[in-house]
Amino acid sequence: MTRSDGPAKLEGRAEFGTDVEVPGMLWGALVYAPVAHGRIRRVPLSGVRSMPGVAAAVGPDDLDRLLPGGGDRNRPVFPRTEVMYRNQPIAAVAARTASEARAAADAVRADIEELPALIDLETRFPEWPGPEAARSEGIIAHVHARHGDPDGAFRSADLVLTETYRTSGIHQVAIEPHACVARVDGGVWHVTTTTQTPFGVREDAAEILGIREADLVVEGTWVGGGFGGKGAAFLEPYALLLAAAAGRPVRLGFGYREEFLLGRSTLPSIIRIETAVSGRRIEARRVRLLLDSGASLPGRDFATGYSIGFLLGPYKIPAFEMEGYAVRTNKPPFGPHRAPFAPQCVFALESHMDELARRLAVDPIAFRLEHVWAEGDPTQFGQRVGPFGARAALEAARARIAAWRTDAPAGHGIGVALGFWSTGTGAGGETRLRLSERELVIEQGEREIGSGSVIRGLVAVAERVTGLPAESIRVAYSDTSTAPYDTGVFGSRTVGALGQAVEKAAKTLLGILGERLGTPPVRLEFAEGRIAVLTNKGLRGLETLLTDTERTAGGLLVGGRHFGTPGTIDESRVLDGTFYPYSDFTAAVHACEVNVDPETGAVRVVRSAAFHDVGVVVDRPMAVAQIEGGVAMGLGEALTEEALWSSDGRLLNPGLLDYRIPTLGEVPSIEVVPIEGFLGAGPFGAKGLGEPPVIAVPAAVANAVAAATGARVFELPLTAERVVRALKRLEGPARA
Amino acid sequence: MSQPIRLTVNGTDLERSDLDDAERLLDTLRWRLGLKGTKEGCRTGDCGACTVLVDGESTLSCLTLTREVEGTRITTIEGVRGEPAGPNVLTAFGAEPALQCGYCTPGFVMALTGLLQEEGSTHRTSNLVDELEGNLCRCTGYRSIIRAIGALGDELR
Ligand code: FES
Ligand code: FES
Repeated sequence: MTRSDGPAKLEGRAEFGTDVEVPGMLWGALVYAPVAHGRIRRVPLSGVRSMPGVAAAVGPDDLDRLLPGGGDRNRPVFPRTEVMYRNQPIAAVAARTASEARAAADAVRADIEELPALIDLETRFPEWPGPEAARSEGIIAHVHARHGDPDGAFRSADLVLTETYRTSGIHQVAIEPHACVARVDGGVWHVTTTTQTPFGVREDAAEILGIREADLVVEGTWVGGGFGGKGAAFLEPYALLLAAAAGRPVRLGFGYREEFLLGRSTLPSIIRIETAVSGRRIEARRVRLLLDSGASLPGRDFATGYSIGFLLGPYKIPAFEMEGYAVRTNKPPFGPHRAPFAPQCVFALESHMDELARRLAVDPIAFRLEHVWAEGDPTQFGQRVGPFGARAALEAARARIAAWRTDAPAGHGIGVALGFWSTGTGAGGETRLRLSERELVIEQGEREIGSGSVIRGLVAVAERVTGLPAESIRVAYSDTSTAPYDTGVFGSRTVGALGQAVEKAAKTLLGILGERLGTPPVRLEFAEGRIAVLTNKGLRGLETLLTDTERTAGGLLVGGRHFGTPGTIDESRVLDGTFYPYSDFTAAVHACEVNVDPETGAVRVVRSAAFHDVGVVVDRPMAVAQIEGGVAMGLGEALTEEALWSSDGRLLNPGLLDYRIPTLGEVPSIEVVPIEGFLGAGPFGAKGLGEPPVIAVPAAVANAVAAATGARVFELPLTAERVVRALKRLEGPARA
Repeated sequence: MSQPIRLTVNGTDLERSDLDDAERLLDTLRWRLGLKGTKEGCRTGDCGACTVLVDGESTLSCLTLTREVEGTRITTIEGVRGEPAGPNVLTAFGAEPALQCGYCTPGFVMALTGLLQEEGSTHRTSNLVDELEGNLCRCTGYRSIIRAIGALGDELR
């Protein structure tokens, strides 16, 4: 088995966040707001405090008593005055059993004056907002940028294509729900939790609770899938507060219904793209974005300025204007979801690129190749494009679909899309390597979330640098009080960024051994359970090279640290808001073949291929697994996954029966084609691979559906109903 | 609290009188017996993570009241090696490896073991895939799971 966590996970011995149990533990339950928007008059808790088994009940009135300064004023644990979304936690209870806690939480009758709620973007903006809307109530972020002379280019264009796309809210649906166990002990706040970012939870939860980071210890567990949903603090502050009130450890966990009702993920958007073409060259593009931010707070929108650039795409466009609004609504706050909002942007952009190609009667791949960035080209903000495998990936896809065309049945459609992502981002992290006579230990602060990036990726980096085999290398975990700092598993950064820290530390290690030997090591070797150093003078056992102190203290210890240096953007193009530079330029091309039932509109993807600009493959089985999983997730986003809200903010499909994720029989064959040689900043030139696999899938499916039927679907997901409607439009008078 | 309940779990006979009448087998296994290898997912019968064998038959422990299975023989992931098909399924899943986060994995292993042990089982890869539709995995895209099922081959069973 290539991953060392395999046996424990297979046999049920791995302890996940949901499994954690400590002696004397109470069970927590949250009290949920019954309205989507309202003014809180009172949350009375004295009644429930005397219910059977209840050990503590906490609400807004208890914050000042339990937290220094009452906690963060902007992001209080419980809202003091205003409910911002339906089911927002407004109080919490801890009791002897789960059912006693639930019964007590359900018995709370909060006095809340209901206020009008804003649920739907189009209610807020029936027309596209003008610039005056930027500073209006409920816009939590506004971004605006321009370059060149887009207006002139639009006036003189041969062809102008204007389209509007819509995308839906989605959920991460990790199979493991959120859960944590908290305790407060001798002034130290402690929480064991299923998280992608132990240090991120520490920072976030400490801020919310108003305590010092040094007084909070976060311990990660095995994580049963993250996909962005286990990033920042979520349940931890509630659990910690309950533990403080009860004076005993408290477990707080979500059921799936709560995962759906309260989960923070991608919310709906409306996207308009206009492109001006002369001959067959794109001369200018205007993009506008309305993004539902849910109950996010001002200053906490990360998606708009980051994602809107993906609507221009990795293409040479001489003039552009882009403007985006993050709109506050009465839904749970927007949160990261594997490549946050990129599949949605790429769906709109790459559908639009295919439509342009169709009107120009150009092959869609040729059209992309004529415009795609190459290394050295300037981005929209004048940053130089680094090594970028988009062209090679598109060419590989072109060859593959030419082969498919020879045996695809009549009526099937083939679609391709180019996704672009910037990988390896996120501040950084450090590691300590500990080399003893028997093993090399990688001490670090992340937890494995499934992809293998920690358990296998970091090991593969150490293997390559030192020459040691995987069985002599171990990844060690500890809590935030002792682990080296790391920003966490997100942004496709573990191998790319933390991997660099491991690479540096491993090189330092070899350097130290070289000094002691008086000659540089060729590599380390492992035989009969012992580590030795190979030089061109022969093999030396490690025991003769370690000092007495090192042997007593568990080995030769070296540190490695990597903090990315962000690129810069030409700020003169920015008119408002914040835009971000890219780190590693990473291309992801997806191709698929679909069959569409003309009666029902049902779309079946029959085969697919994924072409990934990985820099170098660090571990082939892990890379393949990562891409297969991402493609399946993208298929869900393409075809079925859609959160549905009523006009009063009720989530209508809070469960797996009505929110359908792909099942075993629904994922087609996926051919994985790594495109190597366009090196990133990661170890040996590796680029991140956590997020890219999902990005281009919805767009490729939409393009394949259009190729099969001639009908363009302008909204994600491509449900059967939307496909049927698009087919009807084709037949109807609107065809002209 | 009521009548004691007798169960045989992974070969051990138990008698418990501390169970609630409405207690689910999932909770009995996890929180009373400490068998946390059986995973808690949706609790609504839609994900398969909680699958165990009851008298050899694959069963969703979240939809089963412990009282309903009084007197039966229950196998969880902790005891799957003792089932006839268990070791082969573990080997096939491990070799691929047909897991990432591993949260769905015990459920898949139990469900597949149950299917292979059905009396007169003539399952082929294709119908095994159909039979496992109730087990969800969000990480792997199922391709490695399908390969593991394929690798089980007829001779391995
Ligand atoms: S937990 Fe039983 S089927 Fe999901
Ligand atoms: S391996 Fe994570 S859900 Fe299946």
